[in-house]
Amino acid sequence: MPLLSALDHQHTVAPPGYSRWLIPPAALSVHLCIGQAYATSVYKNSLIAHFDASQTAIGVIFSIAIVMLGLSAALGGTWVESNGPRKAMFVSASFWAAGFLVGALGIATGQLWLVYLGYGFLGGIGLGIGYISPVSTLIKWFPDRPGLATGLAIMGFGGGAMLASPLSRQLLSFYDPNYDPTNSASVASGGALVGLFVTLGIGYFAIMMFGVFNVRVPAPGWRPAGFDPGTVAAKPLVTTAHVSASNAIRTRSFWLLWVVLFCNVTAGIGILEQASPMIQDFFRDGGTSTVTIAAAGGFVGLLSLFNMAGRFVWSSTSDVIGRKPIYMVYLGVGMVLYALLAVVGSTATALFVLLACVILSFYGGGFATVPAYLRDLFGTYQVGAIHGRLLTAWSAAGIAGPLIINGFLDAQGKPGTLTASAYQPALFTMVGVLAIGFVANLLIRPVPDRFHEPATATDGPGTAPDGPGTATDGPGTATDGPGNPITGPGTETVAVTSGDATDTERSTTR
Amino acid sequence: MTGQPNGQSGRLWISWLLVAALLGYGVVQTVITAAKLFTG
Repeated sequence: MPLLSALDHQHTVAPPGYSRWLIPPAALSVHLCIGQAYATSVYKNSLIAHFDASQTAIGVIFSIAIVMLGLSAALGGTWVESNGPRKAMFVSASFWAAGFLVGALGIATGQLWLVYLGYGFLGGIGLGIGYISPVSTLIKWFPDRPGLATGLAIMGFGGGAMLASPLSRQLLSFYDPNYDPTNSASVASGGALVGLFVTLGIGYFAIMMFGVFNVRVPAPGWRPAGFDPGTVAAKPLVTTAHVSASNAIRTRSFWLLWVVLFCNVTAGIGILEQASPMIQDFFRDGGTSTVTIAAAGGFVGLLSLFNMAGRFVWSSTSDVIGRKPIYMVYLGVGMVLYALLAVVGSTATALFVLLACVILSFYGGGFATVPAYLRDLFGTYQVGAIHGRLLTAWSAAGIAGPLIINGFLDAQGKPGTLTASAYQPALFTMVGVLAIGFVANLLIRPVPDRFHEPATATDGPGTAPDGPGTATDGPGTATDGPGNPITGPGTETVAVTSGDATDTERSTTR
Repeated sequence: MTGQPNGQSGRLWISWLLVAALLGYGVVQTVITAAKLFTG
């Protein structure tokens, strides 16, 4: 099986001189495809009409996919680390494409359960594996700029929805001339849906295979030219030690970061979930909104752009100012922005749009920065697997965010009759949610030594490129474990390697 | 990103052009939609 053998981790090691700038487009080619998951609303009405089913019955397809995303990322993370990014991307592409094709079979035969099985179950596995597959590799290729690298990839997930929405509309109109791509209420035929699913399945598989062929892991000990690991390790909260995924979930810092991500995503989803009716309700005058449906659609588009841009801009910024400070911005400034939105958001449309756009850029930034935060805390050894486990916070927030916003709005009145004041309880609740996340972020400390892997345990598949001898905390390392010193209350403590370890790392630099 | 060995320059260009084209299409289409906020 030479093809499958070529996918193995050991056959994916980059030859000398391999450009690390080939890795971000490889990662993007996967994330741009799986980002389609957030564009399912385009054909939701058509599926409802084709199956003569309820909104809920069709919505379950997306729910299954998101649940499977969380489960496969959490359970498959260790497998991804040990088998390498190429095999993981191939498996992701296969599941993602198979999901579309089985879904197409379900549409063609009128069997909704096949769509659940295809797009929901199989596609959801492709989503989860694909989401985490390039993250660890990017961090290892860009030890000097992990935030920029993961920001680029995860920006692709946001961009994937922006790509899939107009593309799906145009494909539906191609397969069904009666479908109007400019009318969101237009319904496409079952045949057009089958054509769309088959085209997307084949097209996405081809694009993702581009990433499969280009992705490589760096050779053990590889470092970017001119990179001094000591400059990174000298930053607050950054460790050169390594923590396994099974140990990571036993640390307090992992769960504090879980709360941070959960709170940031919950608050952001609160806006995303209601974006279109929200802007109309905020500017309702005597029962009629001054914001048209088309303008509200434009607002949703603008939020998508800021969501995507925030992933790259803020995550890259975190390389400069640090991970804990950037989350203090996301959560602390976010609290102020949510409060302003509640109090003065209805005074001017431009102000409302500006506040919401910055909030959504923080939402995207929170997703993109978290892999680099994990790398700072737990090292590169199994950062992909740890990231997968952390993504369960996303799944939980996907339930909590809409529940909070819809629960408050349902108590205020019927859709189409709400005004800005009806949103205040929900928005102030989000301020409280962000405050919890802010405190959790402040409490994050370096991982205690007892959770660190022995230096030799990080060799082999899925290892960090650091090589042996890099993982020891030297004198002056501050941690939060029993018996481990902390430099002072509320201090962001510093984990640095001993001089010997740093010298060993330098000796492996190319 | 220049002067790469083993013909990597071409591979780099193709890789980035592919993702730029995909992302660019999405961004342009979304900007057109977003413009309706100011014109709609």
